[in-house]
Amino acid sequence: MDLSFLNVLFPMLLRGFKVTLMISVFGIVIGFVLGCISGYALQCKNKFAKFIANIYIWIIRSTPIIVQALYVYFVIPEITGIDLSSNTSGIIVIFLNSGAFIAEIVRGALEGIDPGQKEAGLSLGLTPFQTLMHLIVPPAFRSMLPALFNQFIISVKDTAILSIIVVNEITKQIQNYAALSYNTIEAYTAGAIFYMMIISVLIIIQKQVERRIK
Amino acid sequence: MMNTLLKVDKLSKNFGDLEVLKDINLEVAEGEVICIIGPSGSGKSTLLRCINQLELQSGGNIYYNNKNIGNKDHDLRKYREEVGMTFQNFNLFPMKSVLKNIMLAPVLTKRKSKSEAEKKALELLKKVGLAEKAHSMPSTLSGGQQQRVAIARALAMEPKVLLFDEPTSALDPELVGEVLEVMKTLANEGMTMIVVTHEMTFAREVSDRVIFMDDGYIVEEDIPEEIFTNPKNERTKTFLSRIIGDENE
Repeated sequence: MDLSFLNVLFPMLLRGFKVTLMISVFGIVIGFVLGCISGYALQCKNKFAKFIANIYIWIIRSTPIIVQALYVYFVIPEITGIDLSSNTSGIIVIFLNSGAFIAEIVRGALEGIDPGQKEAGLSLGLTPFQTLMHLIVPPAFRSMLPALFNQFIISVKDTAILSIIVVNEITKQIQNYAALSYNTIEAYTAGAIFYMMIISVLIIIQKQVERRIK
Repeated sequence: MMNTLLKVDKLSKNFGDLEVLKDINLEVAEGEVICIIGPSGSGKSTLLRCINQLELQSGGNIYYNNKNIGNKDHDLRKYREEVGMTFQNFNLFPMKSVLKNIMLAPVLTKRKSKSEAEKKALELLKKVGLAEKAHSMPSTLSGGQQQRVAIARALAMEPKVLLFDEPTSALDPELVGEVLEVMKTLANEGMTMIVVTHEMTFAREVSDRVIFMDDGYIVEEDIPEEIFTNPKNERTKTFLSRIIGDENE
């Protein structure tokens, strides 16, 4: 089998990997923070916060991510006059999208904690914030880890969509190579295997973390 | 006459249309042990939860050391340090060892050093007979042991009053005794206690006063001897004959 096409394709994949990695890390980290805040808002008593969080999640869940990407890249600059680079747009799309799904994961985990834990904390004279941080968050975090990792994996794969707004991530690089070389089979096969390798690493990390926590 | 520590004044509580507590008046003196008895749904636990402000009352007031705890400038957190509570389902913190369960609140709220808190926690564990379980996780303990840890945890805050919400109701019968024994010791040491319970022997032997609640009202209150041998109210009579009948089976 002739693998010489990799001499050209592999460096392109690596360049794409750097972009995919950068967007995934920023998108997931910011999305995690946004998801925690929104998830907390979903189950708190403040009706306004709950309402805002619900609207946000509803918008994200009811539109395809590809439409969100096009909207952030083409429409937001038109409305606001702020020019966003394709990479910045990419990060925004990933964090907005992952944030909404993480919010639901966080809400479920928080609601799954026995209310008696909160009562025990309060009855010992802890503040509501201490109760949350010491008694609610640690077990909630443990219970949501599998779902959280799943969402991280989905978000990494979602970066492929960003090729449509000219983010030079892995999929865009594969498309470029295929268009230039006409080696369609090689390009997309190598690209798929490359994704599988990246996600496999994530799956291994997930298993390790879950094992350690148990 | 001892100081009145807690005073419940015309307290009421509704959940929607359901009136759970109606015109509750109660004074608790320092060092007094009060048992609250009555059928399920009579409002006993809700009263206890209102005293600890885990439920907010719909009407009336609660005074602690003559201060209205519902006042805006009243420090509820500080009040809860002084009025400890144990629960029917223990509510231990499952991810923390027995020792850490007990140390958590003193370290967080009283700014005690870890070594100081640990020393105190070990003393308390000894007191409830569980010194050897300090490093166990709650899930490895029996219900009776868990409840004793919960009592030690509440004691670590050096409370002035302890509220017990059906402390033995979730226990297997053979584990009830060990928990009641600890509570008896506390009562003998002069701890002010309000105990919601179905343990009539305990109520009779340990309490200074027994309160019988039914349908959201305090129907009758008296010294245990009177309540158990000479109840005045018809509902108290019916309840006791049913319960004590059960105990003799």
